[in-house]
Amino acid sequence: MIRTENLCKSYHCHTRHEVCAIQDVSLHISKNSFVVLHGPSGSGKTTLLNILGTLDRPTNGKVFMSGEDITSFSDISLSRLRREKIGFIFQDFHLIPRLATWENVSYPLIPLGIGQKERLEKSKVLLEKMELGDRLDHSPEELSGGQQQRVAIARALINNPKIIIADEPTSNIDDETSERVLELLKELKSSGTTILVATHDAHFEKIADVVYKMKNGRIE
Amino acid sequence: MNKHLNLLLLATENLLRHKTKTIVVCLCIIAILSPFITAIAISEGIRAQSLASVKAGADLYLTFDEFGRNAAIPLKYLDEIKKIFGVTKAIPRIIGRAFLQNKLAVIVGINKEDLPESISCISGRIFENPNEVVVGHELAGHFHLRTGDQFSMRGQQRKTFTVVGFFSSDASIWGSSMILMSFKDAGELFGKQGVATDIQIHTLPGHNSEIATDLYDIFQNEPYRLQDKHMVELYFKKGFMLKEGIFSALYLVALSLGVPAILVASGFGLSERKKEIGIMKATGWNTLEVLEVISFEQLLISLLGATISILLSILWVKGFNGVFIAQFFVAEITMLPKFTLPARFLPLPCMLSFFFAFILTMVGSIYSSWRASTESPVVSMK
Repeated sequence: MIRTENLCKSYHCHTRHEVCAIQDVSLHISKNSFVVLHGPSGSGKTTLLNILGTLDRPTNGKVFMSGEDITSFSDISLSRLRREKIGFIFQDFHLIPRLATWENVSYPLIPLGIGQKERLEKSKVLLEKMELGDRLDHSPEELSGGQQQRVAIARALINNPKIIIADEPTSNIDDETSERVLELLKELKSSGTTILVATHDAHFEKIADVVYKMKNGRIE
Repeated sequence: MNKHLNLLLLATENLLRHKTKTIVVCLCIIAILSPFITAIAISEGIRAQSLASVKAGADLYLTFDEFGRNAAIPLKYLDEIKKIFGVTKAIPRIIGRAFLQNKLAVIVGINKEDLPESISCISGRIFENPNEVVVGHELAGHFHLRTGDQFSMRGQQRKTFTVVGFFSSDASIWGSSMILMSFKDAGELFGKQGVATDIQIHTLPGHNSEIATDLYDIFQNEPYRLQDKHMVELYFKKGFMLKEGIFSALYLVALSLGVPAILVASGFGLSERKKEIGIMKATGWNTLEVLEVISFEQLLISLLGATISILLSILWVKGFNGVFIAQFFVAEITMLPKFTLPARFLPLPCMLSFFFAFILTMVGSIYSSWRASTESPVVSMK
């Protein structure tokens, strides 16, 4: 499903020194697998996820998704790929503060031309699944960290993506909610979705099909 | 279609969600556009009224020339002029200025039978006997004049005039401070007998050149000046452009303060907007869709700002009679004109105002939005 060849990403960070976030990363992620990226902070997990999720471009190397080299894709093609195939769950949720919960969840549906009523219905189904059915009109500020994370998960699922990429999905939430998130990802995997998670949480490693350990920007 | 409708609705919701920013940008647009639209409307109104009066006036204007300026013309030539083939009417006039107490008035002396039809709009009656005058609305209001009241002009107290009528309030701007009297009375007032400030010559169509040749024969050794309707129109436009230029210069100063304000206001919440664009891109929006929403926002805010500006301008002119701004276009009037200010709200300046507002708001937001939407979502979301 996803294959990378010698991926490198370096930053200049407004200094003369080049910082290599990841170097020569080659990996293979099969369809419908649960893959965990494990490693200490600064090991390059988030950078790798961003590149695999098409949120960033590599400095060198290639990423193949369903056999296509997506590193050569145009901006519009990458947007289409994100819209149709990828759901991204961010460590710090990235919800839009002034929007209600259901509006945040349905935001990716707006450019698809789906009417407000249908968007509300779809969001409602997902938010009820996340046990947030009574929080439809709440703003993110009115929700706890765990609830916000579940809203972000619902948003990632709204387009029925084939791949879910989650960056430290449990780092900002309590243990109980972490377990719920884990269960949810397991459910998604069993329904045929490919899951890629970067985490410190040992619970994820137990259920993962593959665990990649990262250190200093490389896969060990 | 649904997609674009969704984006338009989202833009509307965004404006409502960011009320403060929307209000500030709108106020900036209104502050810039309202004086502009009002000025254009007054300018167009006065221009239209002036050109209409030039068109309704005589075909030729005859004066003497002294030191390159118009000078009084002796009446001894009047009979000869009337006899020229093609001349239908030759009307001598005296147009001068004199103070009524502390207020400058325009004195027009013309024979009763030569009065143009446009001067029929009066209350009271037209002058019939010596020393009877018709007074403009503003002047009459200023001195609380009534029919039958008598007055003398400052420094010329040998003549006492009796008010017999008034120009109505919707008379032309020139009528507001005018005192209309007989040609003879005007001559006596200024102490100039046997001369006119100009002679209006009405002609048969197509005879102006022949008439000019005949006039040349009559005035061979005299310094005379002959102007046709077209020339008068040109002089008028030239003078009017100068007044518009003074307003434009002042407006430019205001604009140089207003434009940065609108650009700054349009860019309010830039970091929040940048992050939002990053999230949009991360969840599958493409650059064009992001820019479409931003453009719709600017379009709506420009429409709103321009519409309010136009309504305020109409109120400014119709409700407050162009207070503060009219004096840029009409000489020697007070801040609040006492006559009905002519104004024309043409579609083109209104459309231009909207486009101007749209361009301004777009300049303030589109580049930063484009930058944010073409960067990697990761960078924009930081």
